[in-house]
Amino acid sequence: MRQRLEALLERLVRASIVERIAISIAALFASILVGGVLVFVSGAFASCQTGLNVAGWTFCYNPMQVYYELFLGALGHPLEGGWSPGNHRLATTLQQTTLLIFTGLSFAVAYRAGLFNIGTQGQLVVGGLATAVTVVYASLVVPSGVVGTVVLIPLGVLAGAVAGGFFGAIPGALKAYADANEVITTIMLNFVAVGITSTLLSWQFQDPDSPNPGTRRIPEYAEIPNIPLVGFSSRANFSLLALAFAIALMIGIAWLLARTSFGYELRTSGVQPEAAAYSGVDEKRMIVTSMTLSGALGGIGGALWVLMQHGRWLESVPPLGFDGIAVSILAANNPLGIGVSALLFGVLDSGSSAIGTATAVPPELVGILSGLIILFVAMPEFFRMIGTRYVEVGSSDLVRTDGGELAEDGATADDGGERDD
Amino acid sequence: MTEPGTEHTDDAGGVETATAGDLAVHLDGITKRFPGVVANDDVDLLVERGSVHALLGENGAGKTTLMNVLYGLYEPNEGRVVVDGTERAFGSPRDAIDAGIGMIHQHFMLVDTMTVAENIALGNEPRKWFGMAVDRERIEREIRDLCDRYGFDVDPTATIADCSVGVQQRVEILKALYRGADVLILDEPTAVLTPQEVEGLYDVLEELTAQGKTIIFITHKLGEATHAADAITVLRDGESVGTVDPNRTTREELAEYMVGREVLLEAETEPNEVGETILSVEDIAVEDARGVEVVSGIDLEVRAGEILGIAGVDGNGQAELIEAITGLRAPERGSVVFDDADVTDWSRRDRIDAGMSYIPEDRHERGLVMSFDLVENGVLGSQRSEEFSESGRIDWQGVRDHSEEIIETYDVRPPDAEADAESLSGGNQQKFIVGREFERDPRLVVATHPTRGVDIGSTEFIHERLLELRRAGIAILLVSSNLDEVRSLSDRLAVIYEGSFMDVTDPDDLTEEGLGLLMAGERPESRAASDSADGMSPTTDADSGGDA
Repeated sequence: MRQRLEALLERLVRASIVERIAISIAALFASILVGGVLVFVSGAFASCQTGLNVAGWTFCYNPMQVYYELFLGALGHPLEGGWSPGNHRLATTLQQTTLLIFTGLSFAVAYRAGLFNIGTQGQLVVGGLATAVTVVYASLVVPSGVVGTVVLIPLGVLAGAVAGGFFGAIPGALKAYADANEVITTIMLNFVAVGITSTLLSWQFQDPDSPNPGTRRIPEYAEIPNIPLVGFSSRANFSLLALAFAIALMIGIAWLLARTSFGYELRTSGVQPEAAAYSGVDEKRMIVTSMTLSGALGGIGGALWVLMQHGRWLESVPPLGFDGIAVSILAANNPLGIGVSALLFGVLDSGSSAIGTATAVPPELVGILSGLIILFVAMPEFFRMIGTRYVEVGSSDLVRTDGGELAEDGATADDGGERDD
Repeated sequence: MTEPGTEHTDDAGGVETATAGDLAVHLDGITKRFPGVVANDDVDLLVERGSVHALLGENGAGKTTLMNVLYGLYEPNEGRVVVDGTERAFGSPRDAIDAGIGMIHQHFMLVDTMTVAENIALGNEPRKWFGMAVDRERIEREIRDLCDRYGFDVDPTATIADCSVGVQQRVEILKALYRGADVLILDEPTAVLTPQEVEGLYDVLEELTAQGKTIIFITHKLGEATHAADAITVLRDGESVGTVDPNRTTREELAEYMVGREVLLEAETEPNEVGETILSVEDIAVEDARGVEVVSGIDLEVRAGEILGIAGVDGNGQAELIEAITGLRAPERGSVVFDDADVTDWSRRDRIDAGMSYIPEDRHERGLVMSFDLVENGVLGSQRSEEFSESGRIDWQGVRDHSEEIIETYDVRPPDAEADAESLSGGNQQKFIVGREFERDPRLVVATHPTRGVDIGSTEFIHERLLELRRAGIAILLVSSNLDEVRSLSDRLAVIYEGSFMDVTDPDDLTEEGLGLLMAGERPESRAASDSADGMSPTTDADSGGDA
């Protein structure tokens, strides 16, 4: 049994890129199948006027319709008449996609450096507040109109990046110089971020005219503009420019990792810190640097959340940072894959509300469906991540036929055998 | 490639017919495949009862795989395992142990804090008081009996941590005997021993066979095979080249069977012009990761065009000394001067840039990034050099050309720059590292175990290159546990023991025995203190990478 599991794990670790994509697609279909059955059976316990009658049972929900709404509803029903690319649902989908690209990249950069940054959420919260406050106060001195747009948006993004980067550097420094596990510190700093921002808000930045905890609105010209041609309404709170920026950043990070000396050192540190030190990398500095970069990306996510979605910072920040972890893992922490997995998350997010409006399926059940999809699609990659470590120390040595490794490998089995005696 | 050993298969056949009734082990046509590799291809092995049988071959030849098949760790894809005339199918080592087969691994499986007796009985403790308590007296009595019978000098009440490596190995052998083993498989048994301990091991083997036990030992060292074995089976590339009688063959012939071509066994050195001092280390003290001082006040000097060898049993501080020189570990005191600059506080990066090449001891952890391909590994350490990068961008085409050049020059197989480092065999990984470090255009090469796990043919090539670098006026610091290697290559030889140099001398002035004594911490004059190396310090770690 154990052997079979090990063999499966090794097979998974050694899967080619095409196989991995195929596995992901197969997993998607499997999750739809399982979720479909779940929805269909659940329908028997709901009460409704019309439904499918089988052997005295009434099945209220139509799984086909549910998944139709989930995927095509998220795009605004492109197969139905009167569809325009500027519809509200597609805008929501792409808005979530854009924000998740930043948080996904944040997790991915740290992961590639061998660090688990669970603190993207906190970095996003801090970065977002920094952006809102900077832009609100800078707008008092910067002229309005086009000049304001051109000055304030980059300024806001920069403020978010700096604040997020600083907030990421803290756990980095704690790890490098005090040997504090970054998983623990980043999780704790998420709470610290909420505490700090909420204190700052009530101390100084709360909008006196709003009942909701949040900052003042930034001027309208400081919100990221849309391209009028494509026809997304301004109510949609989505900007193609922002998406383009996210994609550009994604490509930039991929290029940084693959092509530059810094990226090479970061990746080496991630897979084999000893080899990195051997090659002349200052390990401590690399930890701080990569956590700073990771935090800055989270901070930019917060900046875009403010500049694109709300036009102000709100205390109730959605868990974009935590979703970013799933987005990144789903993409095997590959920057270029993050675009695709962020899109899937965006679709699930806005498709869920499309189901809510079009069917009687309760939101809890819809949550289960999208949870199933994420679970199914992410699991193979997740096991791969775990397996990479396991297989490296274990059974991959079987491929090498030189004595030392095999002796070691044999030792474990030998141990087991003796204990059973 | 010709098969120089084919005529010897007839010998093997002869052995079979002559002594067919007296075979302890008969492996018949064993084939074992791993994904992408045939580790054993139709291998026959006939081992006579009461003999010492050596399984000789280079790394990756399939020796250990074959023995793991016999020990029940692997199931063969084809072929039969016959023990004592009965065909067996072992599902696990336990089955093999029940059939009277014991295996002593290169890395000992002993619990340091427990006594010899506890280790031997572990998992098989005899009970008393209706199973309520372990019958210690009986264990110790049984072990004393075993020791008496085989002439072992082992105290059952001693703690493993206080035993020398040689004694620990005997404990492993006792463990196998205690479980009723008739056939003992020893995997590279000499890799961790000093020359004196090796002699002791030979005596043990002799005693065991005299009492009717059968020994199979795995080795890639020619001398051991010819010295200790009654029969030698040579494996090459997973195939059996044949079985030979060590009395009717020469080392050169055996080497040829192993490699498949003629090899020069010892490097030829000629006197060389020595230049200015390149590296000078003064009174350096280094602590290991636990904060224990493992290098205490060493001075050394390496001049241009000179090879300074450091010999010693692994774990006597050479690793930490080298790390302090190459910039991976900060020394507690003392100074390192490189090219007239005090580099004691320099970072590893600065030392690389100043022309320090370093072949690390641990290639899996340091020398290569296992999940990267050879192209990416080719730039490890040079990722910020002007040669391969420009304003932070790496010139990957240049790196690829460079890596392909290393692969070709140093005969790395498979010759595929896009192969992941982990897919290469240990010897080929080593060749790639050696190539990368030699081609860095260094002022100083720090080479630790440069040929460990490398086959004879490539060892010859690496030695030639080292001597070429020496001729070119490069300073070389060579650390090796291979005595032949340090003795034949070094201009001056330092012997390290417990963090200090015992002696720095011309290697020609030192006999192998004298060297062995120095390595065991004894100066030749005071050898009366003990004539066996068993009193050696317990700090000697098992050599973890001996065959990797």
